[in-house]
Amino acid sequence: MKVLFGAAAAVALTFLALPVLAIFLRVSPTTLVHELNDPVARDALVVSLRTSALAQALVLVLGTPTAYLLATRRFRGRNVLLTVVELPLVLPPAVAGIGLFAAFGRTGLLSTSVPFTQLAVVLAIAFVSAPFFMRTAVASFEALDPTLIAAARTLGARPWRVFVRIALPLSAGGLGAGLALSFARGLGEFGATIMFAGSLQRVTQTLSLAIYAEFARNFDVALAMGAMLVAFSFFLLLVVKWLSFGWTSPFRSVPSSSA
Amino acid sequence: MKLLAIFAAASLTGVFPQIDREPRFQFAGSDQLAFQITQGARADVFAAASPKYPEQLYAQGLCSKPAVFATNTVVLAVPRANPAHIHSIYDLRRDGIKLVIGAKGVPIGDYTRTMLAKLDLSSALKNVVSEEDDVKIVVAKVALGEADAGFVYRTDVKPVGNKVFRIAVPAAGQPTVRYELCIPTTSQHPKLAAAFVREVLSPRGRTALRTAGFGLP
Repeated sequence: MKVLFGAAAAVALTFLALPVLAIFLRVSPTTLVHELNDPVARDALVVSLRTSALAQALVLVLGTPTAYLLATRRFRGRNVLLTVVELPLVLPPAVAGIGLFAAFGRTGLLSTSVPFTQLAVVLAIAFVSAPFFMRTAVASFEALDPTLIAAARTLGARPWRVFVRIALPLSAGGLGAGLALSFARGLGEFGATIMFAGSLQRVTQTLSLAIYAEFARNFDVALAMGAMLVAFSFFLLLVVKWLSFGWTSPFRSVPSSSA
Repeated sequence: MKLLAIFAAASLTGVFPQIDREPRFQFAGSDQLAFQITQGARADVFAAASPKYPEQLYAQGLCSKPAVFATNTVVLAVPRANPAHIHSIYDLRRDGIKLVIGAKGVPIGDYTRTMLAKLDLSSALKNVVSEEDDVKIVVAKVALGEADAGFVYRTDVKPVGNKVFRIAVPAAGQPTVRYELCIPTTSQHPKLAAAFVREVLSPRGRTALRTAGFGLP
């Protein structure tokens, strides 16, 4: 049994790690850094960072109160709303793309002029990544000790004060972890963006789109951008684990060196 | 049963299955298809919207000597509703038009840039809102009414004629659009592939191409 499990683990871990390692082994680190100086790569990095920052700000500002309501209220249709929040997680990106057109396209329900603008990238990223934040946020608000809230209320704290002084600080780790996860997912967004926002250097061409555009044209540049995304995503997922120390037990056995 | 894998330019999406509906087709930008072939994809026939990629593969010893089998012309596709009131390609110089074109390297993208430069219309490029991987996506975004205009092939407009109309490009700027096909050396069924190529070049193949609006060499 020990041997079987060990073998399975070895195969699985190698399979998962190999493509990622291969990206870094294919060209030397100096070439990678050099290729990142390519204007396409630099522009894509700026577009990615700007649109991701805006999208995650939207997710945080609108998603936090929504998650708080969903976590603390019990009402008819709550499960339906939770499902609506989760749906983009499993939606094929192409469906998200036509959905965004159908809603925000010029010929869509709201008939806006958003398509093909940087705002379109922001909306696409927010749409696909918000569930990652909101699910985690709902879970961490739900994990709050209800007696603390009740105590604060009996001591005369208004709901707003309870939210700001008790719920938010106690869930900060969970919210941060959710945001990092959402950020990581948003950086990799591809399908909905290329459909709804198009691909134009310096405007809507994010790193993921630039990798796709360059892979047939200049493989090394695509590889360098890929390596950068891998490194960044790895860092973000580590942050998720680190922030999760405070509110879930499975990681507690791992000693934490930082505060 | 042996099934051929035909890698063909997106603009051949409608016409190739009419010539032979048997094979498995992959329609995409010619540059992407060429890249797949250089990476070892098992294509039996490669049909591109420009001589560039077949000739490159031939020079690298990756495919047979390419043959010209069709020609095309570049037109401006505009949604029927014409939200930006475009009536000539010179209207593209105005600000605020949402123009969609092919990316660099994609044949339609390269033809478009060459054509605009020839007509001294490169200022129209400031209106580009998206660069697409193949011509069919340009067509789709115009047909959807989300883009105000897009440069495509004449043959792309016909299938969506109820949603899109075309504006001619002045003859002085019209690039020579030639389609070439060849048999990649990775082909598993070179004889069947040669039969497919003969079919495309046959009178029946030429009729299908002409009916779809292609020119013939």
